Amino acid sequence: MLRLYACLAAFVGVLVAPFLLQGWFRERSLERPEETGEVLELRIITPHNQDIRRVFEPAFSDWHRSHFGRGVAITYLSPGGTNDIVRYLRDLYGTYRDAQGKLLPEEQVNSGIELVWGGGDYAFERDFKPFLKPMLLSPGVLAAAFPRADLAGVALFDPEAVAGSAGPRWVGVVLSSFGLVYAPDFYAALRLPPPDSWSDLARPELSGLLALADPTRSGSAAVSYMMVLQRAMESAERGWLREHPELGYSEAQLELRPADERLPSYQEALARGWKEGMRTLLLMAANARYFADSGSRPCVDVGDAEAAAGVAIDFFARVFQDQIGKRRITYRAPRGATAITPDPIGVLYGTRGERELLANRFVEFLLSPDGQRLWNLEAGRSPYIARSLRRMPVRRDVYVDRSGWADDENPFETAQGFNLRQRWMRQLGRLVPIWGAAWIDGKPELDRAYAAVLAVRDPERRERLRQRLSDVPIELSELMRPAGAAAAGQEDARLRTARERMDWSERFRSHYLRVLQAATEAD
Amino acid sequence: MSRWLRSGWLRERVLGPNPRHGAIAIALLLLLLVVLIWPLLEVLAAGFLRSDGGFTSEYLRLVLANPVVTRGLLKATLIASATTLLALGLALPLAVISTRFEFSGRALLSSLLLVPMVLPPFVGAIGMRLLLGRFGTLTQLLGAGAGRGVDWLGTLRVYGVVGVEALALYPVIFLTLRAALAHVDPLLERAAANLGATRWTVFRRVTFPLVRPGLFAGCTLVFIWSFTELGTPLMFHVYDVTSVQVFTQIVEVENPLPYALVVVMLVGSSALYVVGKVLFGRHIRAAGSKSATASAPHVLRGVPALFARAPLVLVLALALLPHLSVLLTSVSATGAWYRSLVPREFTAAHYLSALQDDLIMPAASHGPLQLGAVGNSIVYAGTATALGVVMASGISLIVVRSRVPWRGLLDVLSVLPLAVPGLVMAFGYLSISVQCRRWLGDATPAWLDVQRFPVVLLVVAYATRRLPYVVRSAVAGLQQVPEDYERAAANLGASPARVVWRIVLPLVFASLLAGALMAFVFAMLEVSDSLILAQSARYFPITRAIWELSQRLGDGLYVASALGVWAMVLLTLTLVLAGTLLGKRLGAMFRP
Repeated sequence: MLRLYACLAAFVGVLVAPFLLQGWFRERSLERPEETGEVLELRIITPHNQDIRRVFEPAFSDWHRSHFGRGVAITYLSPGGTNDIVRYLRDLYGTYRDAQGKLLPEEQVNSGIELVWGGGDYAFERDFKPFLKPMLLSPGVLAAAFPRADLAGVALFDPEAVAGSAGPRWVGVVLSSFGLVYAPDFYAALRLPPPDSWSDLARPELSGLLALADPTRSGSAAVSYMMVLQRAMESAERGWLREHPELGYSEAQLELRPADERLPSYQEALARGWKEGMRTLLLMAANARYFADSGSRPCVDVGDAEAAAGVAIDFFARVFQDQIGKRRITYRAPRGATAITPDPIGVLYGTRGERELLANRFVEFLLSPDGQRLWNLEAGRSPYIARSLRRMPVRRDVYVDRSGWADDENPFETAQGFNLRQRWMRQLGRLVPIWGAAWIDGKPELDRAYAAVLAVRDPERRERLRQRLSDVPIELSELMRPAGAAAAGQEDARLRTARERMDWSERFRSHYLRVLQAATEAD
Repeated sequence: MSRWLRSGWLRERVLGPNPRHGAIAIALLLLLLVVLIWPLLEVLAAGFLRSDGGFTSEYLRLVLANPVVTRGLLKATLIASATTLLALGLALPLAVISTRFEFSGRALLSSLLLVPMVLPPFVGAIGMRLLLGRFGTLTQLLGAGAGRGVDWLGTLRVYGVVGVEALALYPVIFLTLRAALAHVDPLLERAAANLGATRWTVFRRVTFPLVRPGLFAGCTLVFIWSFTELGTPLMFHVYDVTSVQVFTQIVEVENPLPYALVVVMLVGSSALYVVGKVLFGRHIRAAGSKSATASAPHVLRGVPALFARAPLVLVLALALLPHLSVLLTSVSATGAWYRSLVPREFTAAHYLSALQDDLIMPAASHGPLQLGAVGNSIVYAGTATALGVVMASGISLIVVRSRVPWRGLLDVLSVLPLAVPGLVMAFGYLSISVQCRRWLGDATPAWLDVQRFPVVLLVVAYATRRLPYVVRSAVAGLQQVPEDYERAAANLGASPARVVWRIVLPLVFASLLAGALMAFVFAMLEVSDSLILAQSARYFPITRAIWELSQRLGDGLYVASALGVWAMVLLTLTLVLAGTLLGKRLGAMFRP
């Protein structure tokens, strides 16, 4: 009985301990004064991490109180990553469709969420836009924040709004770039030179040492792989332009005449470039230790030396570098091979009246100079910043004075001219499941084939087999071909999706097994 | 006349001889249909319905024809089989030693052997990462820290999954075996010994056949658990097993395959459960009758006691490694456990960060209704446990005491959650919320809308998922109570409700409480429901908060570990309480 009472006392003690200790240890400096008076509520669905959310809620509340007399409490919904949010919104708005599948008039829609924030410009253009409504920003806000509508050809806000026909459905509020992270310690032990380009991640010495994220789970990873692909396509395009000086294009010119784009030789050049990019990606996939389910995971793996290198978003890498030092993790943007893209925000369809006003004010706050600086101020430089976010503002004019910033960089000066082309991005929707089939479903066979190839002693034969492995069993023309029966609405779209994924898996697995067989045959 | 006979026949078939019992059974059945079957149907429907709403079996056919999926099923089966065998190999000698021998420290060690069950899954992953990292503790111990190190988590992943699962699940077999051994009549063993049988022959020919039902019950549970386990394969990045394939594909838009795969998982798990129940269910009751005289354990001292203690200590040391790693991570300075046996620098800062973090312990300025992750978990798990106890009390009364003809169906339904992956149930509840919005629009009550107020669905999900433990504990307790007491009270004029309140419940209180404590433990550790249903930080339970923290760059993993240590200590004490209350009968709640 004594033992029972002792256990019970210990159980109760441990249960209440956090509540008792909290009062003693909570830092008074971080205590915000209790909200008095009416507080408005704003609901935002976002994949942003806790650090970002914790900075902007109190900052916006204080800004709103100082401008309009009332504070704001933000409720964040975090169902997961970008794909999870897409699914969530599709399910949610699915309840507000008529018999023809069209969205009901706005006054009949009450989604309960005002804003979607973060996930990348590609996701906003492709997946979120059907659920967004034009913003009602105050006059001059857009022009002041974006004196130019693009950065090195990448739109900083909704391209359909550039012509001035309607308010933008999304605006970028912060910039991201994608690059390489590597562990200098580990590279020194491997006696490898630091990586400088995407193709450096495909070298065979990195077998089992590369940290990559799953493109079907991480939107940012999908965009970063798209960069590799587009870089290769653009290289092929430039090669073609050099072979055809009679067409009169300059090196800096990015837009070709439609007639020239239809030339068979141009299409072939693009296809070769695309194939080359896919080769690089496949060899990277072969080097991958595994495919993480989030875009931040590669930084953790490289920082802990579980992997020697990886692909990561810039700010993830910078924050890690702050914490554990440059010897353990260093970030590099491949020169001329990465794009700087905006991370947007949008007002959701169905947001009306006071809530719409409040949602637009949040956007205006994010675009204001004070709101923009919060993205890169050092810890302690603002009462809202306990830990620097290390992200680059989207507003060009705030870079004039970077005092107190964690990073002394100006992406508007360093943008290299390489850009992500929106018309090439359209293939991403079909590419992601193919990548999933090739790299995720087929990973065991890919690993076996690659191990067999690397075990071949003859260097020339090994290289031939490596090239054969990376010769992906798909052409660009096949990817761009419209879907068959489903396009005519004759087949269940879900069935077609499932069957396609299976077919792709089988095609890639067969390819890997053929290479495996060739590699294990005696010379 | 025939119509009256027919209605009486129907009433007998539906309500049984006691209409009151029949009414309670119907109410419980309806409740289980709503909280268990409805979410399952929502998910299953997605595997059989086309975009236009028509039925199709094509998805199922595609799944079964997909070599990637069938390979995943095969791998999951192999992992589950290996896990079960290894867990059995660990648990069998431990159970025999802890029941048949008495030595100093036996009670404490036997209690500690259950501690592996209380480790929050993600935090265990953190612990094992640093322990088995390429340049982690194990590599440093072996002196292999140069060059590429040893990628334990890369090359030996599947073995790692089996090892970690076996070390986490052996307590289930240990408990069921210990309970079964406690029920073996010692006179049978003595009789065999008197006839000249050696100890090994007695064990092989007498003891083992008698405990075999309990043994297979525990093994069935471990197999199903391992087969549907998500956290451990994810931790080791083994993505080509069924549970992870479902998890990774179920979040893809427009992909119906994972739902069809869930059907396959459910059929497989349910079939295994039914086979185990049919083959060994009758024998469990036959072997479960308590002997009149208890078998006195053999007292060991000195060297024999050391030999008896050794296996317990060894298994305990292995099983507690993840816990130790989590503890060390929680006191390691950020990034200080790198290429070293233990952290190079220690700090208590992460505990302070946890106490000051609004996600975990919000400031008073946020108002009394913002409990934080710690408060949320206690409220959710506590409420779910209370709900589970009420349901389990009713189900056990019907299953054990009533003559309702279809009471076996209630029994089966109450343990069905054991065979259903948590992820499936979570998406089922989410689908229910979406459906309600579709039907009711703006009139949808807040408690049915996961966006606005997910608490009710979270509590129901927790209660349903952990119902089997409370039911099994209540059934085991009620089976120990002679019906004569209730008949005597009834004969003295007590109403049925008074008999239950004054006679039955006090006698089964210890079993109910122990089952409730176990349900509380597992509800606190619930992952899938927490990840899917708790979408607003205000309503995050501990597991979701740990997940969020682990995504935070920098010290997130360390603060998550600090929170994990608190959870581990609390849940360990809960287990010890349950063990103190039930003793060897704790194993009864793990019988399917």
